[in-house]
Amino acid sequence: MINARHRVAASIAGLALLVGGTGGAIAQQKELRIAYQPNPIQDTSIEMMEKWGAKNNIKIVKVPNSYGVYVEKMTASLTSGSDQYDVIWHNDDWGQLWAHLVEPMDDVAGLKYADPWSNDPVIFNNKDGKITVVPMGQTIGALFYRTDLIKPAQLPKTWAELVALSKKLQAEKKVKYGYVGAMAMNTTWFSFFWSMWNNNCDVLLPLFERSNAVLAKNDWKAGLDQPCMRQVAEFWWDALHKDKIVPPGMPSYGRNEANAVFTAGDAAITVADTTYWGEFNNPAKSKAAGKVAIAGFPSGPMSTKPSVVWNEIWGWAIPKSIPAERKALAKKMLSAMMEDKEGQIALWKKTGVPPPNKDLWAEIAKTDPNMREMQKYYLDNPNKVHSAFYFEKWPAVHKAYSDALVKAVTGKREDIPKALAEGAVNVHNAAK
Amino acid sequence: MSWRNALRNSFGEQQRFMLLLIAPAVTLLVLFQAVPIFIGGSASFRDWMLTNPKKTWVGLAQYISVLTDPAFLEIVLPNTFLFMFASVTISLAFGMALALALNRPFRAQKVVQTILLLPLMVAPVIAAIMMRWMFNDQFGIVNVVLETLGGEPRAWLVDRWSAFAIIVLTDCWLWIPWFALLLLAGLQSLPKSPFEAAAIDGTTPWRVFRHLTVPMLRPVIIVCIVIRSIDAFRTFDIVWALTGGGPARQTELFSIYAYETAFVFLDFGKGSAAAITGGLIILVVGLLLYRILDHVRKVSL
Repeated sequence: MINARHRVAASIAGLALLVGGTGGAIAQQKELRIAYQPNPIQDTSIEMMEKWGAKNNIKIVKVPNSYGVYVEKMTASLTSGSDQYDVIWHNDDWGQLWAHLVEPMDDVAGLKYADPWSNDPVIFNNKDGKITVVPMGQTIGALFYRTDLIKPAQLPKTWAELVALSKKLQAEKKVKYGYVGAMAMNTTWFSFFWSMWNNNCDVLLPLFERSNAVLAKNDWKAGLDQPCMRQVAEFWWDALHKDKIVPPGMPSYGRNEANAVFTAGDAAITVADTTYWGEFNNPAKSKAAGKVAIAGFPSGPMSTKPSVVWNEIWGWAIPKSIPAERKALAKKMLSAMMEDKEGQIALWKKTGVPPPNKDLWAEIAKTDPNMREMQKYYLDNPNKVHSAFYFEKWPAVHKAYSDALVKAVTGKREDIPKALAEGAVNVHNAAK
Repeated sequence: MSWRNALRNSFGEQQRFMLLLIAPAVTLLVLFQAVPIFIGGSASFRDWMLTNPKKTWVGLAQYISVLTDPAFLEIVLPNTFLFMFASVTISLAFGMALALALNRPFRAQKVVQTILLLPLMVAPVIAAIMMRWMFNDQFGIVNVVLETLGGEPRAWLVDRWSAFAIIVLTDCWLWIPWFALLLLAGLQSLPKSPFEAAAIDGTTPWRVFRHLTVPMLRPVIIVCIVIRSIDAFRTFDIVWALTGGGPARQTELFSIYAYETAFVFLDFGKGSAAAITGGLIILVVGLLLYRILDHVRKVSL
């Protein structure tokens, strides 16, 4: 009996030592918890963090989150003052949504390499004028075309040329549709938005303005009842019903459907995120593989500048509510990521996403023709617009806009002005 | 007096044991049902944006905002009731037909029953994604079949009524087996003698169905209709995955409206008010439906 008691006591003591010892070891290694959405861009960016962590004896804990609930979950985490994450995925859409909840980053040394356009204060600065993000990579919506069907000299510069080229290719039975692009909510960029911005048009007025103060001063006036927007709706209505240069189901298409048509070889031109460049050129996934290049957007009749494009970022932010020591550590890591040349070039090669360190763009372009095209049409293009609006009502405004345009292009052509006028009221009400 | 003494004085030993047994279930119910409903109820009277949770008390303002929203009154509620009516009616009709067919012994009956139950095992969101691709205008099997038969391919999800019909079809596909299963159980529990008497009298199958089967099966049918109607009212996943409420809100149901308000626009105040408004509506509709059907049953006895 005594022996049994001794054995139990010895076991407990041993277990306590083991736990204490392990706890001590764990306490010695600091850790940073990263909240992210599994995706090649974020995975590659986190690889740079892990490399830095291995060098500095910092454990990087990856916490994957579903895209479908990411904003809700992270917003709840930020507003509750939780310290469960040290670094979180951030992007331009949420720039002002979270500006008061995330840490200023102006003291991150590596930020000097960031692109000033996509780190625009209007998107990411807090009310004290301090930037709240470190970029992870540039996200761009680009026009992709089939090089086996369209020669560079034939690339459409106007909507009329796009229609003519599409009709010609379809008549010659070279392709089923001239163009395909996502149109349903939340993929408006790949049809309505690019055409709108390339026809001197915008969701809210003044044109291309993103300062909330200016938009509020203009009473959140919507641009839907402007003649330029009517031309946008009529262009897509004709493309769907008269010219038939796009699939008839396009108003219900998200990314998956539009990309499926393009990779099946059924469309000559598409607009999609540049992150799909790799997929479009992957022979295992695309019949168009090896025959896909990028170009600028065709302009509408009221356009005053050629090919208006957008170039935003995905980035990383640090919640305000975490302890100062972890904030400092996270900033060191993000700064090191900005200076990790090898890791950033790997990001470009793996994903087709231009790295956040803009100094590397020219270096990559020396050997990579794709980067040269990207610079020519997008990165170095002076005609840029920010691809969203940056206030808390933007999701509701975007939905009201999308509903109005989808209603316009799926109804009767003569009802387009009515649909847009109703949409203008809905957008204004959603914004104010 | 300590709470233990108070508990001892108020309840006997057997009652205390029973309370102990139900305590885990009550705890779970309070934590995961009562508390969220209370928080949701509180949110519905407040200005509560997830991004800026001021939680200022605004009284009935959120409810007024929902009930005066033309989209809620002119699109969302009519769509929801139409969906509820169409889905329950079609599922009941086909479920009854299947139950009657399965109620007769035939070879491989068990195999057929198992196959018919398969849709019940498919997650609604998966069924919806499958349907979305089946009705895709470029790659969908439906258009392929239509073209083979000489028809014109269609953009099914672009038109309001065809998109709505696909949503109803998907819901019916998922729920017909449920109706069939319950109605079959009801059929098998009916007494044999009235049917034997009808057979001796040479009554036609239709008259047997109308005057014997349906009246005797009414309690089961009522329960099926009430439960399924309440469930259909709050349908979310198949609509979200199939159309997202589109094109241009034309297939938006109540649950999509509440979800988007709360979780896309991050307006917890209005979203909670919409959810509670819907809850109250379905409570009234459920009670009314039960009373009407119960009245029909009593009259027909």
